[in-house]
Amino acid sequence: MNRSQGESPTPLVLNDRVSSRRVISTWLASQQGVLLLVIVAELIIFSITGTNFLSLANAFEIPRAGLEIGLLALALTPVIVTGGIDLSVGSLMGLAAIVLGKLWRDAHWPMEWAIAGTLVLGMAAGFLNAWLITRLRIPPLIVTLGTFSLFRGLAEGITRAVDNFTGFSDRFVFLGQGYFFGQVPAQLLVLIPLAAAFWVLLHRTTIGRALVAIGFSPEGARHAGIPVDRRLTLVYVLCGMTASLAAVIFVAHLGQAKADAGTGYELLAITAVVLGGTSIFGGRGSVTGTLLGWLAIAILQQGLTLSDWPRELAGILTGVLLIAAIVLNQLLVKMGQRKAATRRSDETAQA
Amino acid sequence: MASEQVALSYSIEPHHPPAWRKYLREMSVAAVYVLLLIVLLIRAPRFFSTGEFREVLVGHAAILVAAVGMTLVILAREIDISIGSQLSICCIVAGMMSRAGWSMPAAALATLAVGVAMGMINGALVAGLNVPSIVATLATLVIWREGKKLWNQGEIIQNLHGDFQWFGLGQTSGKWVLVLVAMGIFVLFALAMRYSAAGRAIYAVGSDREAARLAGIRPRRVTFAVFAIMGGLTAVAALLTSIRLPTVRPNAGEDGYELTVIAAVVVGGVAISGGRGTLLGSLIGVALLGTIGSSLVFLDSSPYWEKAIQGGIILLAVASDALYRRAE
Repeated sequence: MNRSQGESPTPLVLNDRVSSRRVISTWLASQQGVLLLVIVAELIIFSITGTNFLSLANAFEIPRAGLEIGLLALALTPVIVTGGIDLSVGSLMGLAAIVLGKLWRDAHWPMEWAIAGTLVLGMAAGFLNAWLITRLRIPPLIVTLGTFSLFRGLAEGITRAVDNFTGFSDRFVFLGQGYFFGQVPAQLLVLIPLAAAFWVLLHRTTIGRALVAIGFSPEGARHAGIPVDRRLTLVYVLCGMTASLAAVIFVAHLGQAKADAGTGYELLAITAVVLGGTSIFGGRGSVTGTLLGWLAIAILQQGLTLSDWPRELAGILTGVLLIAAIVLNQLLVKMGQRKAATRRSDETAQA
Repeated sequence: MASEQVALSYSIEPHHPPAWRKYLREMSVAAVYVLLLIVLLIRAPRFFSTGEFREVLVGHAAILVAAVGMTLVILAREIDISIGSQLSICCIVAGMMSRAGWSMPAAALATLAVGVAMGMINGALVAGLNVPSIVATLATLVIWREGKKLWNQGEIIQNLHGDFQWFGLGQTSGKWVLVLVAMGIFVLFALAMRYSAAGRAIYAVGSDREAARLAGIRPRRVTFAVFAIMGGLTAVAALLTSIRLPTVRPNAGEDGYELTVIAAVVVGGVAISGGRGTLLGSLIGVALLGTIGSSLVFLDSSPYWEKAIQGGIILLAVASDALYRRAE
């Protein structure tokens, strides 16, 4: 890293040769930095007000409670980076939960195969979204609004909205309720590798760069030789598969599969992604940000519960946080532009 | 306002394509709707003789009003996904005013004010603070829904003032008034969108914001206004929904109300990319989706498939639209 202090005419983003102090100050002034401060503030407040908030058990409980939303948020990050959206993930969770139950109970498939079948279903559902978006050129918002109804409707139709599946084996339920070493929830072992995989995909591969390029300008990306349709298909298929995986964990978590699994989760997941600094218009986003956004929401919910404050406050504060984060982000971008224009940036104002 | 009129009078359709071509999209959805009605007439005449058809009209009058607002929002190239929560809050406000002994006109005005205020908050976030509309209304959706739960705790509001249910007119004439109010609003806005400068300004901003600005329209004001109107119309929809029952339930508008309304508008041929579509299309979209939902029972099909069929129709409608435009 080049330590030539303040020499480089830095635009705020994507410059490898800036000083480490500047990297830190830039990062702190970014939306993720703000989010990190919010998380720290939450931790301080709730450790004072909450009963047993600052304990190892609770540290593991926080990600456990909202894990499915975390999975959806991870999968939605590349989708939103391409400038798309997927409203159907929550509904797909319902359909996947039902198909899992059907395959296992009524078709007598072994559990491993039933899970595999459910994941394939998720990929097929994602492919349907992708096909409509890339081949028929229908906006993702509309396509996934349609499949939002379709998937939930299929789940309700198959079960006639009453049938549900219970009595799963202990080994399966362990996936959602068990702990390794008495502390570490089993679900975390699904989330962490998946988060790492999505991080590598988005930030360390050419595919990830292609997704960002598509988000900036699909037409420009096409002219640069990027197979836009194939890349888009990939992200929606991955999103469908991850939603199915979230459904499997959801079922194991509750020990029951019903058609209403995951209702409203799509909005929570999108909130986490946008809170994490990913632009809803595409072209900018990060997996780390998504994880931070998700954690900020999860800590808020858990903290309010342990502080005996009304649960609804979590939703209200999340909404306020979402707006505040975006407005603040716009201010920061504007400030950054002004600074880039004046060239001689003063680091004190940023820190 | 005068300058808008002058600027726009040049831009309204320089050449006039034949009417059937211009309304092709609306007509094809209408054809599907007629087809559905014919199928119902043959397979399940009871659908008409038992008065179920009339119930569909009454039941979807409120959705039509909300769809009018949503059409304006989408034509201006924005979106509002918070209307379900807005509707719940408006229902509760109307119920509580009525329970406190307010007469219907007073309660209705108060509800309208609350609705417009919520719409103005959305408008301020989008037009004033430049928050993308889908994110801004996602945030207000959550804030209002949870705020409502905190405030109301799921309590059903009873002991309403005598003139609340059916405007105190009794069921038969009350239903007529309800449908007339909805149709009146629809006709008013349909005419305004077609012939008034303000209506054309919404189309102009949705088609090309920058061009509209250069033509003397103030896009921010238009954006703010459509959200405020959306809020007001949501309040009307809330009134039309809640007067049908003797009590007010706080869960009206939950379970994807906003998506139902958006789906009806989209099926009616209003482009999500703004600037293209008509209120007539939205009317047919509401009628089509509404009739399908309640006709399933009469067609010996399980009502549990309603959502799946609605989803299928949305996809079919937009897919055929896309294929048609590609063929052109």
